[in-house]
Amino acid sequence: MTRVRRFAIVAIALLSLLLSGMVVAQEDSPTIQAQPCAEPGQLTMWVWDPVWAEVIGNAINAWQEDYCPGAEVELIQQPWEQYWDLLQTNAAGGDLPDVFNMSQDRFYFYADNDALLNLQPYWDEYGVDTTVWGTGLVDPYRWGEDGDLYAGPVNWDTVALFYNKDMFDAAGLDYPTADWTWDDFASAAAALTDPENDVYGASVYTEYQAGYANWIAATGTTPVVDAERTQCTLTEPGSIEALTFLKDLLDQGYMPSVSIQGGANANDAFNYWLNERVAMVSGGSWKLPEAIANATFNWDVVQLPKHPDTGISRPILHSVGYVAASNSDNPDLAANLILYLSSDEGQQFFAEAGGVAPANPALQQQWVDSFGDTGVNISAFVDALPDTQGVTPFAEIWDVMNTDLVINIFDLGMSVEEATQQACDFIVTQLPE
Amino acid sequence: MTMIRNALGETPLARRRALWGLALVAPNILGLFFFFGVPVLAAFATSLTEWNVLKPAEFVGLANFVRLANDARFWQALGNTVRLLLMVVPTGVALSLGVALLLNQRVPFRTLLRTVYFLPVVTSTVAASVVWTWIFQPRYGLLGNALAIFGLRDVNWLTRPDLVLIPIAVVTIWQRLGFDMVLFLAGLQTIPRELYEAATIDGANRWQRFRFVTLPMLSPTTFLVSVLAIINAFQIFDQVYIMTARTSRGGVGGSASTLAYYLYDSAFGRFEYGYASAVALVLFLIILAVTVVQLRLQRRWVYYESEHG
Repeated sequence: MTRVRRFAIVAIALLSLLLSGMVVAQEDSPTIQAQPCAEPGQLTMWVWDPVWAEVIGNAINAWQEDYCPGAEVELIQQPWEQYWDLLQTNAAGGDLPDVFNMSQDRFYFYADNDALLNLQPYWDEYGVDTTVWGTGLVDPYRWGEDGDLYAGPVNWDTVALFYNKDMFDAAGLDYPTADWTWDDFASAAAALTDPENDVYGASVYTEYQAGYANWIAATGTTPVVDAERTQCTLTEPGSIEALTFLKDLLDQGYMPSVSIQGGANANDAFNYWLNERVAMVSGGSWKLPEAIANATFNWDVVQLPKHPDTGISRPILHSVGYVAASNSDNPDLAANLILYLSSDEGQQFFAEAGGVAPANPALQQQWVDSFGDTGVNISAFVDALPDTQGVTPFAEIWDVMNTDLVINIFDLGMSVEEATQQACDFIVTQLPE
Repeated sequence: MTMIRNALGETPLARRRALWGLALVAPNILGLFFFFGVPVLAAFATSLTEWNVLKPAEFVGLANFVRLANDARFWQALGNTVRLLLMVVPTGVALSLGVALLLNQRVPFRTLLRTVYFLPVVTSTVAASVVWTWIFQPRYGLLGNALAIFGLRDVNWLTRPDLVLIPIAVVTIWQRLGFDMVLFLAGLQTIPRELYEAATIDGANRWQRFRFVTLPMLSPTTFLVSVLAIINAFQIFDQVYIMTARTSRGGVGGSASTLAYYLYDSAFGRFEYGYASAVALVLFLIILAVTVVQLRLQRRWVYYESEHG
């Protein structure tokens, strides 16, 4: 009960603070202020993305210069393919890096095993109001009775609808708008489908993050598992409704099956869209650089269509965080670096680099502008921010909820009821306690 | 002390020689011990614990093995492994023997053809699996298009639980063929020509020469190839991991999961290292048992020249 109330309070606080955050930013006073470190020392830090490694490297140099002269940071980029295995091995040896990148779906495992440093005392000490980031960004990084925040959010990505303008023109349809409902979407998908030329109206069902879970969230149901990880929500009416809506589109031939588009991953759907086989695809903001570079047709993005009854679209929001090891030799210094990297100054480096969006709410417009004059409505992703769904599932159930569920429904023709029941039967065995 | 001396040899010279011998094999033996023996023993110890690598391992006795016995996913993986073995080993051995027989004759471009058949062996399984994944792609793949001519459209080879083992078996056979072929070729070269000449003089036809000369003379090679092929089949992993990666890793509902894949998934997918070690141990025991049985059975059908010569 207290947890539920806390979530409600946090949610309300988010809405007001997200607005005030923008206002504060305009007044030029920093949303999150970096602080000098108490005592310099040595830190190791791991990241998985080579582009971020460069950006973070620059940020660390600035931190050393402006806030912590004499500190030494060994920044190591571990390739994504090995990142989690290496992290686990190092954790086993009691040799975690002091600071490292964390993903929402993996956080749970490390927090549950007491491997992470609680950053809440530091946020309090530094006077950081952790609600400025908004629920989708930070709630999955809260842990313990009091919902302490264990991570400094680095960046976020969320999902919108990419559409091929040329195909809309050819079919004589108006472009989608942010006010579109599921019904508008379905009728456009029907009109855009052209079986003779092997062209489909849409592909929006693939794996959790860029796929079906967004549609479940729009019904008001938390997709797959609830925030407390106490139950599987796939068999709830909202989930059934969303999946049935999507399956109907597939059964009518408006969407390609998993096998036809070449896989159950979001990338497979997106490549299919890039190859002009499908008119509309749900894609993450991380796909913007690729689409800008590779799309050979006119295209744009728009927020996902709204559920006709709830009137919302609630895309999945995923944020990468910086966390520190609980057994770090320099916890205070690690926390100070994380504060800097999350601050307006530290996040500036991400905003300027383009690509993924910085977590700091003050820097969103700068991120949009970093793409230059593309004619693409990149703000659609930022506009979606106020009402997003954080990632609640965890690594152990990833395959079952992503691929087995998706293939059973969208490739093998299993009924939504049976497929979701099958998925939940497994997922409940993986829930804590 | 005297006993050790005597064990090494009676005379100083013999002892010196024996010591040299030991010194020369030591690097290999030590390497085997530390990088193979120790991990194997560690895996055995780990199989008696519950361990997620973050928290200290907890001794649980034989609980992992009890759980294995009641784990439907484990039995499914074992069943899939046996099914794959039955698909891969007889076909693979027969095909490689056939190719070896063909390429043992005077055919044009013989050396080139032998190389071509051997190429898949030196190709990385991962690369081969990626290419085969595309061949089996239902609508745009090579095979998909070929089957469409016969009216078979959009066959979901890699997602259908009842079909997914077929592409995996095909890749395994294709990749293994060249290796077994080389072994058979070597075996064929050792069969003395006189035996064929004698058989011909006795009026044996082609089939009889094959049945009563080639096959028995080749039986040691056939035995070796079978043992290796069976061990290989028990360890099928890469193909499963790669070919089902774009759809559902390990197949929908575990339909492509093999023992080796299940082992991997237990350890690196679900962080259950103790349980994964138990799977590894069972896999080891199965391979050991099958190999021992084969060694026993070979007396009935494998013919070694030296035994009778």
